[in-house]
Amino acid sequence: MTHETTHENDIPDQECRMTTPTVSATGLSLSYGGTRALDDVALRLSAGVTGLLGPNGAGKTTLLRVLATAVPADRGAFTVLGHDPADAAGRQSVRRALGYLPQTPGFHPDFTAFEFVDYVAILKERTDRGARHREVRRVLDQVGLADARGKRIKKLSGGMRQRVALAAALVGDPGFVVLDEPTVGLDPEQRMRFRELIAQAGEGRTVLLSTHQTEDVAMLCHRVLVMAGGRVRFDGTPADLTDRAAGRVWSSAERDPGARAGWRTGTGTFRNLGDPPPGADLLPPTLEDGYLLTLDEADTAVTA
Amino acid sequence: MTWHVDDDDLRAYGRGELASPALWSADTHLTACAPCRERLAGFTDPAAVDLGWARLDAELDAPRRGPVESLLVRLGVPDHVARLLTATPVLRRSWLGAVVCVLLTTVLATDTVRAGAEPTLFLALAPLLPLVGVALSFGPALDPAHEMAVVAPMHGFRLLMIRTVAVLATAIGLDLLATLALPSFGLIALAWLLPALALTATALALTSRLGPVLAPVLTGGGWLTLLVVAQVKAGAAGTLAPFSAAGQGVAAAVTALACGLLFLARDRFDRLQTFSV
Repeated sequence: MTHETTHENDIPDQECRMTTPTVSATGLSLSYGGTRALDDVALRLSAGVTGLLGPNGAGKTTLLRVLATAVPADRGAFTVLGHDPADAAGRQSVRRALGYLPQTPGFHPDFTAFEFVDYVAILKERTDRGARHREVRRVLDQVGLADARGKRIKKLSGGMRQRVALAAALVGDPGFVVLDEPTVGLDPEQRMRFRELIAQAGEGRTVLLSTHQTEDVAMLCHRVLVMAGGRVRFDGTPADLTDRAAGRVWSSAERDPGARAGWRTGTGTFRNLGDPPPGADLLPPTLEDGYLLTLDEADTAVTA
Repeated sequence: MTWHVDDDDLRAYGRGELASPALWSADTHLTACAPCRERLAGFTDPAAVDLGWARLDAELDAPRRGPVESLLVRLGVPDHVARLLTATPVLRRSWLGAVVCVLLTTVLATDTVRAGAEPTLFLALAPLLPLVGVALSFGPALDPAHEMAVVAPMHGFRLLMIRTVAVLATAIGLDLLATLALPSFGLIALAWLLPALALTATALALTSRLGPVLAPVLTGGGWLTLLVVAQVKAGAAGTLAPFSAAGQGVAAAVTALACGLLFLARDRFDRLQTFSV
């Protein structure tokens, strides 16, 4: 199952029948400053973690901000849990169902972890003090910060700050969680811990995870979207994306000039992607191979 | 143990209705008497106990309020609004200290120079302080959690108004205190008030179109340009037009108009105004 572009008709009927989409979008387009950031994007998201891969400038953050109702699209429409954010009332309903961790979450540095999440809980209309504090404690416990809730944010490590931001996103048990590159800047151990938290967050709710890390997608996601040039270039399972590179990865002693991409590996041989020559020494593909070939084909399509 | 709390007192204690001094006696006795504690458990509604524990949890978890937050709560501001205001950068001590220093310097300079019948320097500067304060209280530049706030269910305009009212009240309060230090000029020393409201409302109305940086810069620049032009027209001794009766009327009209435009543009504060791919 592969999809060059994503349109509603491309979504397999079986999947549509089996799951009710949390998010349903058609024709989302957004331009600014002469750049087409989103170009006719359509998608359906249902429960579980969906990965969003793409190079810088692909339109990932713009798509997440549109779906999070931070910026309006020029054209197109979408719903979140049946709510249409086109008007103020619908937008508020969407926001009540939303958890959002932006690309660069900002913190009031003098706040403690508890105070910051408490602040976000107030923005999420939790005005009753006792109930709000119980909710804050619950989400801080959930992200493993029970013992650090009284610490000032400026004294926390990068990984702990990301967990504070995730806790803030989870206040109110939202049905749709948007995470914009939450593992950037984390060391491997922190990244692994954060993946566990994202996997937990994806149980029973819909999570859209933007990332540059194909390992994040391979370990967490039941589905993956690849964006380039403001368009969705692939929509399927991580296994489908890996399969795109089946029979198209080979090794050679020197870089193959016919390869679309190639690099020297730690063993000294070259790993080549593209259309292999006859008799090539084929290698098992990885998710990253499928991703790179998808981007390469998208680039070729744009150039042509 | 020579005595035990009787049933009626225990029931009243469980309901939280036992009056002192019987309450004190019961408190002391229950600390030491396990049988009475067991009897009390039988008289107490489990739901009320759960509620009590929940209240205790909330208090144990409650962060210690800072001086500004405590003052706001003491003044009757709801707890959650006070917390929102503590995240307003210009309500921090460093900003307030800077404003006080600027005002003290201006008042001293105005009192020392005494170039005419009006405290012109003070009247020119005082309206800018609320403008700058409000401009710095909202937007991505100085609110690090701005993006999270924008996508929260609380409407961005409501958050803006909460912060604006608090900052305006603080800045105008400080301006008024400074005015009291210039008693010899009479009521003319209050001629900054309407221009202050006009500038602040205009900047906010323009923010919906021009963004949180350009709008206050243009508004403040326009005010200073207006004063220079008025100074040239009035000559050395005359009253500057913005501080005359007619000028005050114009400031009131501009305030009303800008407030109307701001209300019409309120939904624009519910979205991010700058973004990248």
